[in-house]
Amino acid sequence: MKKVTLTSVFLLLAFISSLFANEVNIFSARHYDSDVQLYEKFTAKTGIKVNVISGKSGALEKRIIEEGADSVADLYITADAGRLGAFDAKGMLQSGLNTKAIKSAVPSNFRTSKWTGIAKRARIVYFAPERVTGAELAGLTYESLADPKWKGRIVIRASNNIYNQSLVASLIKNNSKAAAAEWSKGIVSNMARAPKGNDRAQILAVAAGEADIAVANTYYLALMLSGKKGPEQQAAAKKVKPFFPNQDGRGTHMNISGAGLIKGAPNKANAIKLVEFLLSEEAQNHIVNNTFEYPMIAGVSPHPLVVNMGLDFKQDLKTKVVNYGKLQADALAAMTGAGWK
Amino acid sequence: MTNKKLNFWYLSSFVVSLFVAIPILTVFSSYFSSTSEYMELLKTTFLKDYIINSAIILFGVLFLTFILGVLSAYFVSFYNFWGVNFFKWALILSFAVPAYIYAYSLTAFFENYGSLFSLLTWVFGEQNYNQYIPKFDGMFGAIISMSFSLFGYVYVLTRASFYHQSNNLIEVSKNLGLTASESFFKIILPSARPAIVAGLSLVAMECLSDFGTVSFFSVSTLTTGIYNSWLAFDDLNTANQLSFILLIIILSLFLFENYSRGGAKYHQNTNAGFRKIPRIELKGTKSFYPILFCSFIFLLSFIFPLSQMIYWTAKFPKYFQDTNILELNLNTLLLVFLASSILICLAFLINFGNRISKSKILDNLSMFSISGYAIPGVILAVAFISFFSWLSDILTNNFNLPSIKGIFIGSIFGLIAAYFIRFYSLAFNGIKSSYLKINQSIDDSSYLLGYSKFRTFRKIHFPNLKNSIYLISILIAIEIIKELPITLILRPFNFETFATKAYAYASQDLLEAAALPSLFLIFWSAILIFFTSRHILSEK
Repeated sequence: MKKVTLTSVFLLLAFISSLFANEVNIFSARHYDSDVQLYEKFTAKTGIKVNVISGKSGALEKRIIEEGADSVADLYITADAGRLGAFDAKGMLQSGLNTKAIKSAVPSNFRTSKWTGIAKRARIVYFAPERVTGAELAGLTYESLADPKWKGRIVIRASNNIYNQSLVASLIKNNSKAAAAEWSKGIVSNMARAPKGNDRAQILAVAAGEADIAVANTYYLALMLSGKKGPEQQAAAKKVKPFFPNQDGRGTHMNISGAGLIKGAPNKANAIKLVEFLLSEEAQNHIVNNTFEYPMIAGVSPHPLVVNMGLDFKQDLKTKVVNYGKLQADALAAMTGAGWK
Repeated sequence: MTNKKLNFWYLSSFVVSLFVAIPILTVFSSYFSSTSEYMELLKTTFLKDYIINSAIILFGVLFLTFILGVLSAYFVSFYNFWGVNFFKWALILSFAVPAYIYAYSLTAFFENYGSLFSLLTWVFGEQNYNQYIPKFDGMFGAIISMSFSLFGYVYVLTRASFYHQSNNLIEVSKNLGLTASESFFKIILPSARPAIVAGLSLVAMECLSDFGTVSFFSVSTLTTGIYNSWLAFDDLNTANQLSFILLIIILSLFLFENYSRGGAKYHQNTNAGFRKIPRIELKGTKSFYPILFCSFIFLLSFIFPLSQMIYWTAKFPKYFQDTNILELNLNTLLLVFLASSILICLAFLINFGNRISKSKILDNLSMFSISGYAIPGVILAVAFISFFSWLSDILTNNFNLPSIKGIFIGSIFGLIAAYFIRFYSLAFNGIKSSYLKINQSIDDSSYLLGYSKFRTFRKIHFPNLKNSIYLISILIAIEIIKELPITLILRPFNFETFATKAYAYASQDLLEAAALPSLFLIFWSAILIFFTSRHILSEK
């Protein structure tokens, strides 16, 4: 009996202390250990404890929605603006990420008042220099990937992948729904194989000679070049070269990892503080050197391997990333309509 | 039936059955929710794909597990060859490797510039081997991964059935002039049919509810379809329709399994006529094929994923420091301890109640216990969340009660409750089957001797069931160590298990970092299997 009493007292104390705790609760679809290190830095600086639960974005969102007003979630961190936009459309986010610090740090096309980018990535083309000439690549755009001259030479992952959905959403925004549907058909007929594997697998397929060009995000190549995936993949990564499309037009398709402020967040002020910290120079340096993404703020240099891929490319700063979420459904429709697996 | 009986046993049985049925009820009750127009398109383009993909995977896995399981069981049951006693239990080690971890290994080994490429480069020097290396990914990879991690069900049950076959049958077949292969196909195989079917239906259920493997290989199946339409597109209607199809398939498998198991009783030998089969001695070249086959399966099902994980852990030692091994061990231990004690206690209670009240209604009610096992873990977890949010909202709105969401969602308690739903069938049916072995007349004698019901339980039932409790707890432990989707969705903040840690790394494309937690997961499961191998291989 004594034990029971003791335990309940202890539990009660734990409960009470949790009510007054100085903390912030993050639901994160990013699983990087380096993110956790970053949160530890934040705690050391501010004394605010960071609680994390990670998982697949869909399941995390569902949990937040179902918990409703009782949810203790403060911030939702995920890769891809499409996801943040779609979550916002469900009415699950609230304003607050429009402080002076955030506004001055993040260009306006990468944020709304409810969510903001914390790091950038570009979705680009990788090619095998042995089989693809500079002349062939000259002036290459996402649009021209549908050109019959690439027949049987392209690898790209499946249509259920959010990065592809966002890319196609940006094509819909800049061209039209019909054009994107046509484009998807062209891509499908240019595929060297049925879509499979992640972005890194697409790059490896080009290195291995299965295809001539791949569409994949920028950080994957840097990850391989860094040797973190072993010497074989490092060597393989050197066999492909990055190419940044649409340089003569709107620029290369950019996407974000971002954070959204959850409606009813019990620790709203702390959440905003954390986002501001994530956008600080210190945190940005930590992020880019671990995940090989591009920094969100000016004045921070990407990881040297990313710098080597080329920094003087034109980013698409015209297409607001908020459209990726809005046009997600149309994008998926365009791809599946074209038979994109 | 007296009122007294109705009070406690009926109530507890009813409550537990209802609790376990929560996910199924939730899935079906949201049937009338609205649907997004854009899912119409998905439905027309993908629904067929989902069903076809699920069917291909199902039949592929059933075919492979049948071949692997039955042949290996046949070899170790009827023949004596070098290493047979080793293979007998080594083959069940495959249970220690969940299909999703098998999938990680398969990809790592065969992908472009993967481990096989490194191996070839190391042995034969630099060259582009990638084009000659077969690629085990997509649908094919999913089938291979699931087959090698699930064939154990067929192997264990078939072997048990072979073991109990009387030598009389074999001798009759010999006297009738049948050759070895003829007696295999005409006598041995047909009489083991119920066991094989039972094994295959377990495989089928696991296969249909798999989420980790198919999502890793991005193959769209009914399960991923339900997940996507429910979670990504808020389309409960489609999710329900898909769930419905899936559940119908799974429930018919259950009925089929029950039916064939029921039939099996009639095949059991009375002790009087039973003669143990002397195993045929195989020496020299004749023993070549069984040895080759058994080693092949053992290597592929266990040694292959194990060595891939060891190789990675050694090659990328950095992740050793990054992983908090002690914490992962303690978390896993906590979940295993809590979940198995609660499962065993309640399964006991209900079984005891069913037994002393001798009620058919209670027996039928307990059939609900299967439902947790029939629903894919990922769907179960989401349904669990939906249900308790709904319940909590009702309590808050109508009775002004404080929210109960925090108790069930994102807490250890909630996690254990969801495990309870998931694995109740394992605990309940395990205890039930050993209860059936205690003759009812023993209870009657005990009452005649003046023992109370509780004393009968303590002095008669419990000692007789001790072994199966031990066995069932360990089986539950293995399941919980390997469990991924429920843990992932329902766990509290800052809480990781080996499975979630491995998953987190794998999903950020760091399979080599996933190796260490995977290795621990395999290690613990294998140890537990080792301790239970005697039971697994003798009874059932």
